[in-house]
Amino acid sequence: MPYHTVIYAVKNHIAGITLNRPKTGNAVNLKMAQELQEVSRLINGDNDIYVVTLTGAGDAFCSGGDKEEVEPCHPAAAIAAIDRPVIAAINGDALGEGLEIALACDIRVAATKARFGLPQLTGGRIPADGGTQRLPRIIGKGKASELLMTAETINAEEALEIGLVSRVVPPESLAEESRKLAETIAAKGPIALRYLKEAINKGMDMTLEQGLRLEADLYFLLHTTSDRTEGIKSYLEKRKPDYKGK
Amino acid sequence: MSAFEVIIYEKQDGIAYITLNRPKALNAYNIRMRDELYEALGAIKDDPDVRVVILKGAGEKAFCAGADLTEFLTAPSPVFARQARFERDIWGRFLSIEQPVIAALHGYVLGSGIEMALCCDIRLASDDAQFGLPEPGLGIIPAAGGSQTLPRVIGRAAALDMLLSGRWLTAPEALKLKLVNRILPRAALYPEAIKLAEKIKSYSPAAVSAIKQAVTRGLDMTLSEGLELEKRLGRGLTADTKL
Repeated sequence: MPYHTVIYAVKNHIAGITLNRPKTGNAVNLKMAQELQEVSRLINGDNDIYVVTLTGAGDAFCSGGDKEEVEPCHPAAAIAAIDRPVIAAINGDALGEGLEIALACDIRVAATKARFGLPQLTGGRIPADGGTQRLPRIIGKGKASELLMTAETINAEEALEIGLVSRVVPPESLAEESRKLAETIAAKGPIALRYLKEAINKGMDMTLEQGLRLEADLYFLLHTTSDRTEGIKSYLEKRKPDYKGK
Repeated sequence: MSAFEVIIYEKQDGIAYITLNRPKALNAYNIRMRDELYEALGAIKDDPDVRVVILKGAGEKAFCAGADLTEFLTAPSPVFARQARFERDIWGRFLSIEQPVIAALHGYVLGSGIEMALCCDIRLASDDAQFGLPEPGLGIIPAAGGSQTLPRVIGRAAALDMLLSGRWLTAPEALKLKLVNRILPRAALYPEAIKLAEKIKSYSPAAVSAIKQAVTRGLDMTLSEGLELEKRLGRGLTADTKL
């Protein structure tokens, strides 16, 4: 195992990242942030990876920043840089930097026991890894202000209600559910998936008109892939597509 | 106006009705439909008699089940396809209509069908409606604005969930995510759409158009720019009333 703070494994086009400092509730230290950055680079350079799942070892997803760490860490930035769909399988508490990491993912599935919060304010700090920007973009300004300004923790049910996570499942079925979701996604056209993520994430920071142009440009760029022909042919021939990522 | 084959265009008492009309093909969107919609939307844009628009699908099964894939492999080179897209900018024209557009959705609302609905301002759905975007499963991405309009309506996270996993939504789920404004029994769908259109029609057309502009254009601006736009539009209306 080349990594000390994360577990990284690839199987059937699905890359699995596990935050692995269970004794500390998977608290982020500089080492973990660096290793996530390495993994992120590795994934972006590997066309055989179609989708990524991210979870925590032990009871917590990620309990926040390591109190002993003095260096600034940006683990969420490393995850946000991944250009494939990333599923957060939130097995337990996602607090502070832990929630910021989850916010950098595309789809969030949580175990019923998970709790969520950005408590940085109680320590006289503010989130510094995207929390103040990504949270309002996901759940809206009103709810985000409430969560950030009260620094309170919410449970999985409340997180589902406000759209912070899109699904909640019992802890024992989380791994299975997120694997199934990853397989569903991995069966789609891999290049189309990447372009879709780009179109949505970049497009949301543009005017609608600019976003529509980005979408059209990416759409026509896909005309040059053999996957597009395969996708349409397989549909017309009523069979499963066999995508090559080309 | 030339005769339409795959849509029906009607105008009655200030309300324009566009009906997607390929019921045997579940109203699948094809090149012919693009051209006819382009023409009908252009007529609406320039017609001050039209105060509200209702978009619906013919037949029992679908509003629109998506694009007609049989045409997809006949496309010219990407360069020419892109050129054609912007020469006949159907979605740009759709979004530039100043009158409010109400979508009355039933049955399958898939792919281009959802995207057309997202170009509308208010979406009513019957309780049998089903929503989905199958594009990535076909190795493509949406091309009628869906990757941009969907996250603007239901948010980035829900849009990514729907698009990446390809999961379909039932009408109640669509209501919960605010993809549609209201759900109605099938028989009440069109009467309710007409009632809503009548209500909108009862207001000053200048005020209605100003509100649509303030909300839709304002979303693309910073808050201070949006407030400035609102003020400007408001002043224009006050000036109108004084005349």
